[in-house]
Amino acid sequence: MNGFDITGWGMAVPERKVTSVELAERFGVDENWIVSRCGIRERRAVGPGQTTASLAVEAGRRALEKAGLTGGDIAHLIVATATPEQPSPATSAFVHHDLGIAGGAHDVNSECAGFIYALVSAMALIAIDPRPILLIGSDTHTLTANPADRDLSILVGDGAGAVVLQPGPENRVKAWNLGADGSCTGSLKVLAGGSRMPTTEETVRQGLHYAKINGNEIYLNAVRYTVRTVRETLESAKVDAADIDHVIPHQANIRIINSILSHTGLRQEALITNLERYGNTASASVPIALTEALDEGRIKNGDKVLLAGFGAGMTWGSILMEWGGVRK
Amino acid sequence: MTLPTIEELASQLEAVSGAQEVSPDAPLQHIADVDSLDLMEWLYGFQNQYPDIPADESLFADLDDTTTLRHVYERILALVPQPAQA
Repeated sequence: MNGFDITGWGMAVPERKVTSVELAERFGVDENWIVSRCGIRERRAVGPGQTTASLAVEAGRRALEKAGLTGGDIAHLIVATATPEQPSPATSAFVHHDLGIAGGAHDVNSECAGFIYALVSAMALIAIDPRPILLIGSDTHTLTANPADRDLSILVGDGAGAVVLQPGPENRVKAWNLGADGSCTGSLKVLAGGSRMPTTEETVRQGLHYAKINGNEIYLNAVRYTVRTVRETLESAKVDAADIDHVIPHQANIRIINSILSHTGLRQEALITNLERYGNTASASVPIALTEALDEGRIKNGDKVLLAGFGAGMTWGSILMEWGGVRK
Repeated sequence: MTLPTIEELASQLEAVSGAQEVSPDAPLQHIADVDSLDLMEWLYGFQNQYPDIPADESLFADLDDTTTLRHVYERILALVPQPAQA
């Protein structure tokens, strides 16, 4: 099996900040209530002209620049998103055009676990076709949250993160694990707009085009399934949780993240989180945190880096990599 | 199967939430430092400890400002599988 290196990375977030102070005023609660509940002080929200694809293009362009490549060098583009540019065609089609990608393109929708799923897909693709792949996670959940829905509005933010994979001699991935439980489709859902419930005036009137969250169910399942996937990946790699240098979990809620750490034995010092500044950016949360950590020089060659995520559905996954091969 | 006492459940909830005291007869919503995510964290631990008891988030589905830990405990007792009769 061919290996790969992550040779480029980049991120894009909207300029507009939505602070917890602002949301506290809107919902008639205390800022500290919001922060203690989820650990988020501010999140970014798209403005006019900004979309899932435009953020993806910005992040993708930065990742290509970092890798020293152009769109013409990319054999395949994968965009992970649960908030597509429009129902059809795929978001990757818009990104493909704007970045001048030479090869194919497709979307992955595994909700907030989308980047992990897409990375495993990319890993398999590069094994059978060893050419560069651009992988982007991009979401704009502030547009799917009902502005009157406190539970969701305090959590979500918009953004995109991207990585470039290039074939390499080493197998950097030590183990990975993906899973799903389709009995949990009610935990976080957008009911209208699909084949099961096409959009009508009535669905819009009832606000069924907005996302709805069952926070308690999400909490339990997120902890349960992320703990499971982390344990299975570590067992498969025969690596002890205490030996992980960096863990980048899906940035959903600091309470969920802390619970996952305490139940898996992952070290608090290994945690990379930017939840406080960006909120839950769904498919973008892991690549944004990875980009910031790499730009800050926190991740060094040889470090054991664990990426883990969960999403609505439920979906979950984790990948353990031994970092290396960063090219100049 | 040995079930925890209600006092043990209260101690577990204190440990999870950081609340100084969880009285079994105090309305859960009135206990400082205990919120719904603390209850879920406690429930997650309970589920792991007692996998044969089908306790889930519905234990707290109709939580209101009169619901106490004792009410929750009674619901848990009702969920305990009964041994098969000879």
